[in-house]
Amino acid sequence: MNIEVAEERDNGVLVLLPVGRLDSANARTFESIIMDHIGNGEQHLIVDFSRLAFISSSGMRVLLIAAKRLNASKGKLVLCEMQDHIHEVFHISGFDQIIPILDSRQSATAVF
Amino acid sequence: MPEDLHVTLSPRLSKLHDLSAMVEEFGDEHGLPVAKVFVINLALDELITNAVTHGSFENASDPKIEVRLRVDHDILILTIEDNGSMFDPTIDTEPDTESSLERREVGGLGLHLVKSFADRVSYEFVGGKNRLTLEHDLKPASG
Repeated sequence: MNIEVAEERDNGVLVLLPVGRLDSANARTFESIIMDHIGNGEQHLIVDFSRLAFISSSGMRVLLIAAKRLNASKGKLVLCEMQDHIHEVFHISGFDQIIPILDSRQSATAVF
Repeated sequence: MPEDLHVTLSPRLSKLHDLSAMVEEFGDEHGLPVAKVFVINLALDELITNAVTHGSFENASDPKIEVRLRVDHDILILTIEDNGSMFDPTIDTEPDTESSLERREVGGLGLHLVKSFADRVSYEFVGGKNRLTLEHDLKPASG
């Protein structure tokens, strides 16, 4: 299944904005999109959740893999603009301890 | 009085989008908070994915998953029945949620999330089917 992922540049940093649902049916597609960017040399990456209404553990798994890969090459993944119920999932999973989650795009960009 | 949701589907991940739309419609009709609708869709994604990817239906001649969602006395009750091989998700082990990014294991989170969000979880194997019931209180407990 497809997932629409908008792409922007913010102060030189690549920002990915997945749209709608990131679930087990389309997580593989999102994985190939994000890993292609990392494979092409993107070291700093922001995933902006403002257009995302739903994520399951399949989608979170992709973010963990991307964060690990970037971390290994001294790069960084930052997340931002999460709705409260999605933030809760990242908290229960303990992902908020290992991947930076910022409230706004502005503060996410300021990390780099 | 809005109706209960009752859907029977074949175990395929491609069914999740349609199912989530039905849950959202149910949520609108019952005036459920966005967060509760999210939690139900999360449970459906995790449990159906788990059943499909772990080959639970390899021995089933007519694999089926039956989903029921209803509100009863301020409790949102989700029941999922399937005719796959016996699997009790309530006895699954806790995943790693504490180690560093380098050491963090990929996977194993889904069932943990489902159980963390539910107020009560019960499982039984009846008539050759797995039946999992998740209850979510719609009003915060008093006291």
